[in-house]
Amino acid sequence: MSSKFAILFLAGITALCAQDAPLDSSVKINLPADSPLTLISTDLGESHVSQRGSAVVLDLDVALTLHNSSPNRVRGVTLLVAAQEATPGGKASVSVPSLDVAPNQNFPVRINLRLLRPAQMGGGPLVQVNLDGVLFQDYSFYGPNRLDSRRTMTAWEMQAQRDRKYFKSILAARGIEGLKQAMLESLNRQAERPRLDVQVSRGRAVASSAVADHTARFAFLRFPDEPVEPVEGWAEIAGNEARNPRIDVRNLSSRQVRSVEIDWIVSDRQGKRYMAGSVPASGPEFNLKAGSTSRVLQDTALRFSHLSKDGGAPLSVTGMTGFVGQVEFADGKVWIPNRESLANAQLLGILEPSPEEQRLLDMYRKKGPKALADELNKF
Amino acid sequence: MMHPNPSTLALYAGQDLSWFARRRTERHLVRCSECSGEVQAFAAAHRDLVGLNELPALSWNRLSGEMKANIRLGVAAGECVRGAPTAGVLGWLGIMSATRTMAACAGLMALVAAGLFLERPRPATVPAIVPSVAGENAVLRATAGGIELNQGGQTLSLLHVRSADVTYLAGAQGSMRAGYVDSDTGNVTINNLYVQ
Repeated sequence: MSSKFAILFLAGITALCAQDAPLDSSVKINLPADSPLTLISTDLGESHVSQRGSAVVLDLDVALTLHNSSPNRVRGVTLLVAAQEATPGGKASVSVPSLDVAPNQNFPVRINLRLLRPAQMGGGPLVQVNLDGVLFQDYSFYGPNRLDSRRTMTAWEMQAQRDRKYFKSILAARGIEGLKQAMLESLNRQAERPRLDVQVSRGRAVASSAVADHTARFAFLRFPDEPVEPVEGWAEIAGNEARNPRIDVRNLSSRQVRSVEIDWIVSDRQGKRYMAGSVPASGPEFNLKAGSTSRVLQDTALRFSHLSKDGGAPLSVTGMTGFVGQVEFADGKVWIPNRESLANAQLLGILEPSPEEQRLLDMYRKKGPKALADELNKF
Repeated sequence: MMHPNPSTLALYAGQDLSWFARRRTERHLVRCSECSGEVQAFAAAHRDLVGLNELPALSWNRLSGEMKANIRLGVAAGECVRGAPTAGVLGWLGIMSATRTMAACAGLMALVAAGLFLERPRPATVPAIVPSVAGENAVLRATAGGIELNQGGQTLSLLHVRSADVTYLAGAQGSMRAGYVDSDTGNVTINNLYVQ
């Protein structure tokens, strides 16, 4: 009952006190002077600041129009969205991969953000938007790369090329009907993909949570062409929570590796497999020379529940599987598993689709197979 | 489209609606991003309101009891010292003289002031939402309308208001990703939240 009264009290306060205010200088867009992108316009749409009790709520609906002033085609952009004053340990980014923006063309980027913070905090812009990186068609990169967006966008672009190549090969071999069939299969996979509600915790709760029930070992899926192999790994399990994953990896290639990302699958009592997340390792402390072994570790806790609007039941983790999802070499080149390997390991029905596959599926749904075929033939 | 009123959305956020009303509200939320956003705001604020329970509890019953007791004591004391009824209209009505009335009121006000001083309500200058403390636990989660970072009662959310088909991926380094196709632009948009 107390929660009911608290909510009703809040509703009343909201109705009485909520007063929208203009945004003024709440948002600041910063692009470097030498940026290959220039800001053409900023439309704040229905963005507004409102007072709710002792808190300020900023609803930001920003439509940016950017201009490609470089001589290269833009394949992806990442914007760093900082609200440090409100969440000192947190930051956000908005990326737009799978672009194909020619020189001197404009393109839109949308940012929808909500910030809830105390009313009595100081002035200044609530949100600052900075350019973190731009990826071009030739894989060259511009930007401060604070969020490691070079690696991320390069991997997305490689996935885009991989998936376009796959669908183009179907189009070439089986025509529009074959492409339609492949799209329907992909749509079915997405609809049937088991999904989990995953909550990520870092900080005090990770260290002070209940004692782990046991330590579970990873089983690993292997790909024939992987440059890095997972050797062994484990994580602490406490009910539906998996903590502090640690995975030893060995560099099988002749090149130095800058970062590795291990994809993480968990199984429930019925043996159903779910994509849990990824365990990345990068930075100066992660140094994987040719033939050497290193450890991927993260001090974090992932809590799994069945997906439900009302808060799903906790999922008891009974098994864990890992595989190498991404490797970045010291020269900036990136390895990803090919589509055949993913299909052979029966991972296509578990993994989220690549951004490009999402875009192609959306195009198929909205415009049909002919428009999709035209789009594929552009590349 | 008819929207549920704010109280219904607030009760839904607090999981206090009846089964039928909940189903009806859910059906509406599926197709109304505006109300979904409201529900998220209520849910976030509700979590923050839990902090209000940590305010020093006011003993209203005790305060009320003390005030009543003091008033009764004052009235009894007045009865003890009351002399013969005074002449005049007030005396005829059996009511105290103006001087005595003023004295009683002053005494009553002093009692109330003393009571309030001793058990004064703490002004709500410590809100449910306070600036984060370093080391405070941070939680990333996916919500109905986006992904959310909650830290020290403050929230930062990235919303996907123009798509219903969203993929999520958690990163063990402390990140949460939501990917969708923006129906306005046709571009894939990937929102990321990170906690350090």
